[in-house]
Amino acid sequence: MVNWLYVALQAILNGLLTGALYALIGMGMALIFGVMRIVNFAHGAFLMLGMYATYVLFQATGGSPYYQFPVAGILLFVVGYATYMVLLRPIRGQVDFMVILLTMGLALILTDGAQLIFGADYHQINIPLLSRNIHLGSQISLNAPWLVSFAIALVLACALYWVVTHTMFGRAARAIAQNPYAAPLMGINVNRVQAISFGIGSAAAGIAGALLLPVFYLFPEVGNQFKLKSFVMVVLGGMGSIQGAAIAGLVLGVVESLTSLYWGNEWALAVDFVLFILVLSLKPSGIFGSQRA
Amino acid sequence: MRKWQALIAAVFLSTALFVPFLVSTDYTLQILFRVFLFAALGLAWNLVGGYAGQLSLGHAAYFGVGAYGLALFSKLGISPWASVFLGVVLAMISAAMIGIVSFRLRGPYFALCTIAFAEVLRLVAKNLPSVTGGDVGMQVPLLFTHSTIRFFYWAGVLLTAFAFALSAWIERSRFGYYLMAIREDQDTALSVGVNATRCKLWALVISAAITGLGGALYASMFLFIVPDQVPAMDISTEIAIVAMLGGAGSLLGPLLGSVVLESASEIFKNVFKEANLLIYGVLIVVVVLFMPEGIVGAITRKLSLFKKAPTAPFAAPLPVSAEEESERMVLNK
Amino acid sequence: MKRSFLLFLLAISVFFWASCHGSKGPQADTFKIGVITSLTGSNAAFGQAHKNGYTIALEEINAKGGLLGKKVELDYYDDQSRPDQAVQGVSKLVDQDRVSIVLGAYSSESTRAIVPVVTQKQIPLIIPTAVADNVMESNSPWIFRICAGSGSFATATLDFLRNNGNPKKLAIVSENTNFGQANNKSMTEAAKTAGLELVDSESYQASSPDYKSLLQRVKGKNPEVIYFASYLLDASTLMRQSEQLNLNPKYYTSAGTGFAAAEFPTPDKGAGKYAEYTFSVSQWLPSAKWKGSSEFDQKYFKLAGSHPAYHAMEAYAVLVVAAAAIENAKSDQAQAIRDALKQVNLAETPFGPVQFDARGQNQHPVLLTQVQGGQYKVVWPIEAAESKPIIPAPEWSKRQ
Repeated sequence: MVNWLYVALQAILNGLLTGALYALIGMGMALIFGVMRIVNFAHGAFLMLGMYATYVLFQATGGSPYYQFPVAGILLFVVGYATYMVLLRPIRGQVDFMVILLTMGLALILTDGAQLIFGADYHQINIPLLSRNIHLGSQISLNAPWLVSFAIALVLACALYWVVTHTMFGRAARAIAQNPYAAPLMGINVNRVQAISFGIGSAAAGIAGALLLPVFYLFPEVGNQFKLKSFVMVVLGGMGSIQGAAIAGLVLGVVESLTSLYWGNEWALAVDFVLFILVLSLKPSGIFGSQRA
Repeated sequence: MRKWQALIAAVFLSTALFVPFLVSTDYTLQILFRVFLFAALGLAWNLVGGYAGQLSLGHAAYFGVGAYGLALFSKLGISPWASVFLGVVLAMISAAMIGIVSFRLRGPYFALCTIAFAEVLRLVAKNLPSVTGGDVGMQVPLLFTHSTIRFFYWAGVLLTAFAFALSAWIERSRFGYYLMAIREDQDTALSVGVNATRCKLWALVISAAITGLGGALYASMFLFIVPDQVPAMDISTEIAIVAMLGGAGSLLGPLLGSVVLESASEIFKNVFKEANLLIYGVLIVVVVLFMPEGIVGAITRKLSLFKKAPTAPFAAPLPVSAEEESERMVLNK
Repeated sequence: MKRSFLLFLLAISVFFWASCHGSKGPQADTFKIGVITSLTGSNAAFGQAHKNGYTIALEEINAKGGLLGKKVELDYYDDQSRPDQAVQGVSKLVDQDRVSIVLGAYSSESTRAIVPVVTQKQIPLIIPTAVADNVMESNSPWIFRICAGSGSFATATLDFLRNNGNPKKLAIVSENTNFGQANNKSMTEAAKTAGLELVDSESYQASSPDYKSLLQRVKGKNPEVIYFASYLLDASTLMRQSEQLNLNPKYYTSAGTGFAAAEFPTPDKGAGKYAEYTFSVSQWLPSAKWKGSSEFDQKYFKLAGSHPAYHAMEAYAVLVVAAAAIENAKSDQAQAIRDALKQVNLAETPFGPVQFDARGQNQHPVLLTQVQGGQYKVVWPIEAAESKPIIPAPEWSKRQ
């Protein structure tokens, strides 16, 4: 009888481990959405770029992605910053959906570009850590790489939160999020702060890609599922709240895992969206608060 | 809309009807069918996305309901055309249900909500093989006694003509005016007594009807449908792109958008082979950067010094106070 | 507004010009064969495998002088992994480029979509890889399939099981795509006929990072046999996570594809040691006893830098068969080629003997392999077996 408890616990723990990675991706998206109100359809493509970059690095140096992920982060920061400056800033005044359309076009370019360069074939890497499992008692086992990525994601999430709440940059970003018209009047260089925010948000996606590489596999369209999930997280978390998105990521991971356990894996994605719709209709300001921090 | 515009449109569409007598290859007719289908779908989307300014990225839901409606009802033994009718009714009902939930939200939240509904529909179709055949697919009956592409092409032209006429009529009507008022500033529109929710719902339901009809036609042409083909995000984004790039909020926009994008897509595929999607992406980025009001908007702007307000695509939303903004960013009160 | 309308007309004329310009009628100097495959999109990796297989066959055919005195040229159309594009492709290849035979497509859904079209246009189609049973259900006289279907996979596996321990409790784990669902359906029906008890049937969303909850469910039902229908990377993830959960059925069996890929037993690109003891149906292996198999393997490795899975071989075989039929027909007319295909009787190709029955299906023998010592070894049927099957699969904790 107690078996079902262990089984459920295992599922919840697995869900939290997966959810941490989701959280990292979602926080990036929340930062971008919060500061700029941009729904970035290229977010998944940025994750994919981070993954490919880490893969290339691994092939060249053999070093574990768990040490080399900052490279993906830096690369994607630059890509994000440049994307904002070159492509998004010129059309800032335009309607929402032209901006969305641009990010869609960008996603196509990046995805097809990756296919042309790396081929459509799947890639994966194999590191020794992959076969290590940590056992808690006799019933629960956790895969080591997921624990490592959980820890890294946790640290980065806290760091991001600290940056947003305790630095001048963070304050400027929050100011712009609150009122983009008043912020420049306060002496904030709106363009630069927004570009940096976009850069950080994209870097988060890139790092998540790097952390995902050992436990998953790589192909040009890998970012698609994560892009949709990051939309869900931003909404669940509420109004571009970073901490909300992070918690939403964990929630999503656990919900998916429990759905797989009790209903069937094929419904996990559908449940994500149903949850999304429920939250939007019942508490549109998100599960975690209505005001930004 | 001025009379000569209507005349040009009528002439164009009637000449389009003669095309099958000039062009004999199925291949070209299929592409032209696609052009007209997406022109009709773009015009339908335009009612919600262009005139009412609500960005729907889940229109494939209605497309899919129309297609699966045809397949499912005829599996039950109902005649094909009756099944089409029922499919369209079902699409309208789904639009009402989706709209009631989604229209409480604004801007990007609305868009994301529409994506969510469409995805749920797709996953339901995919994961219930006993009902919908799942990913293995479902047979669709032939709507026309002759299985030549011609009939589908004509149906596509007629659908486009219908959508065009409907849009033109709405554009001139009070209903259309209300929609555009909602687009420009919903709160002000509400304050002068426009029932925003009801207007938006009607726009969506009408839009869904045309989209569902298009879906049934499309399905019948292929005689077979699978979930990733019909209620799929690809279709939603294609419809939205056609309308937005062509020029949302204008009549010729979706038409032009469809012609340009569908033919570009096919040409790229033949010329660039594996790189065709990349070039397509570049096209989208270039058009957005240099023609942010869509192709039609850019042309109108270049050619006329005096912009006419009702057909101008968009104005930036007026600033409101910070506290209200955060709440009203999400909700429609 | 007038100007935008003129632009409109211009766009349409450009399109017409481009589409007419793009068509090339039959060149006097080459023999064109139409090919539809997925060069982009989610199936691009397999489309590429197809292309490589076709390329090798093409070189061989042209080295021998081509067909009917002309050099052979392949006219590719990319269906972007979408069935509606595949249908469009048939129209382009047949109406515009005037090919008289089409090979392809890759996926079951694209192939199923083009069956009515080639039937209506009366062009023969040879199918290399689509295994879903519904592809052949229309009994069209223009369709020929060279590979065994999902029904044959199921019966071959059940045959093997009946003669090797006769387990009774079966669980099926399949992805929720056409490939997975078709195989799930075939196995469910075949198992019922064979009298096995289906204790669990799981469908999963492909390319998920975490299947542990799904495997937990399967574990709870205690099956003796698990039948997987998965692609390579999910296969690797599933086996790895089975070990983490200590899932120990007596038999791990599968419907090929992922579990039969060349990389599957390798540690770098597959499941490595977790692949050990898994059974799989196989259409072809580089180590197959058919003449020409290892030569194909070498040529493929030189071309692509990796070993071929059976998809590439099926493409190769389909082109070889097409060439044989065209030679026999001594004609480039669709009808004649189709009739020649009906008569085809090749006793020896690298893909084994090829002959199409009345429905157009080639009775391709289905082998069962088991991963032993990191290698695929044929274990069934007995006549073709190179090794005895190891049953039951040792528990994870007892393996090295």
